[in-house]
Amino acid sequence: MIQVPVEQKVLSENQRVAEGLRSALQATGTLSLNVIGSPGAGKTAFLERTLQMLPPLTQAAVLTGDLQTENDAIRLGKYGYPVRQITTVGACHLDARMVEKHLDGWNLEGLDLLFIENVGNLVCPTSYDLGEDAKVVVLSVAEGEDKPLKYPGIFRKAELMILNKIDLLPYVPFKPELAREYARRIHPGIEIIETCAITGAGFDQWIDWLAMRGDKKHASAAQRGEAIQQV
Amino acid sequence: MHEMGIASSILDAVQRELLRYPGYRAARVDVRIGEFAGVDGESLRFCFDAIVKDSPFAPLELNIEAHGGDELDLGSLELEEVNA
Repeated sequence: MIQVPVEQKVLSENQRVAEGLRSALQATGTLSLNVIGSPGAGKTAFLERTLQMLPPLTQAAVLTGDLQTENDAIRLGKYGYPVRQITTVGACHLDARMVEKHLDGWNLEGLDLLFIENVGNLVCPTSYDLGEDAKVVVLSVAEGEDKPLKYPGIFRKAELMILNKIDLLPYVPFKPELAREYARRIHPGIEIIETCAITGAGFDQWIDWLAMRGDKKHASAAQRGEAIQQV
Repeated sequence: MHEMGIASSILDAVQRELLRYPGYRAARVDVRIGEFAGVDGESLRFCFDAIVKDSPFAPLELNIEAHGGDELDLGSLELEEVNA
């Protein structure tokens, strides 16, 4: 018997592809967001509203994942931005290779934003890096406030929590302050924006967040560039 | 639900590692799973055993160590000589 150290990530192959995507999107200055939430949290409606409200001349594209159907791509395709459906045919999450395959043929040059709508699921997508800059978790007020405690993995990894469907608050027993407290208990630094895709409430703040996050990415890229030049 | 994919990723890594050790087979693989990794250990074991059972890897033991973070790592591999 011999013992040999392997010491690598189980998903090292996914990680390798994800890093390739990350550097491609770094080179084009594209902010890439992996949008994760339960089925029915309102991810697609949230992205539809986002596409409607993006500042003029913004270059954006969407990949949307589901087990079956092109329905979401049809919905998201109405706003003049390139959209592709990824049907996973049973798989409960997107992986980096699926993203790489579906980006094929798209000119990323000049693309400001890439939204990747993951398969509706709070568990499995958490494990798979898609080369994104940030994960955004969408939680709707029609769910339980304790979702962050029940599914801590995604709330820990997400930079931003979207608390969606807030127009339903008068009709459901959901306590937003409790959801915020639970999310911060799992991830003290998580940012939180309350939205409603139907009325557009909160979207100004979300669009500002996108701009801020894009600037942050460009600033850190510029810093790295300078550091490389100095070496 | 994605534990089947994780199980086959583990076996892919074992396969890659074995190429470096001709004449050996894998007897045990150590995997570290963090509390926040989004992977259920028992479900992973079930999937792993199901794939291994009728494969050239059998018998291969999956040793799971629970950790506190979000790691999902391969630790070490115990190898034994074939026909030893």
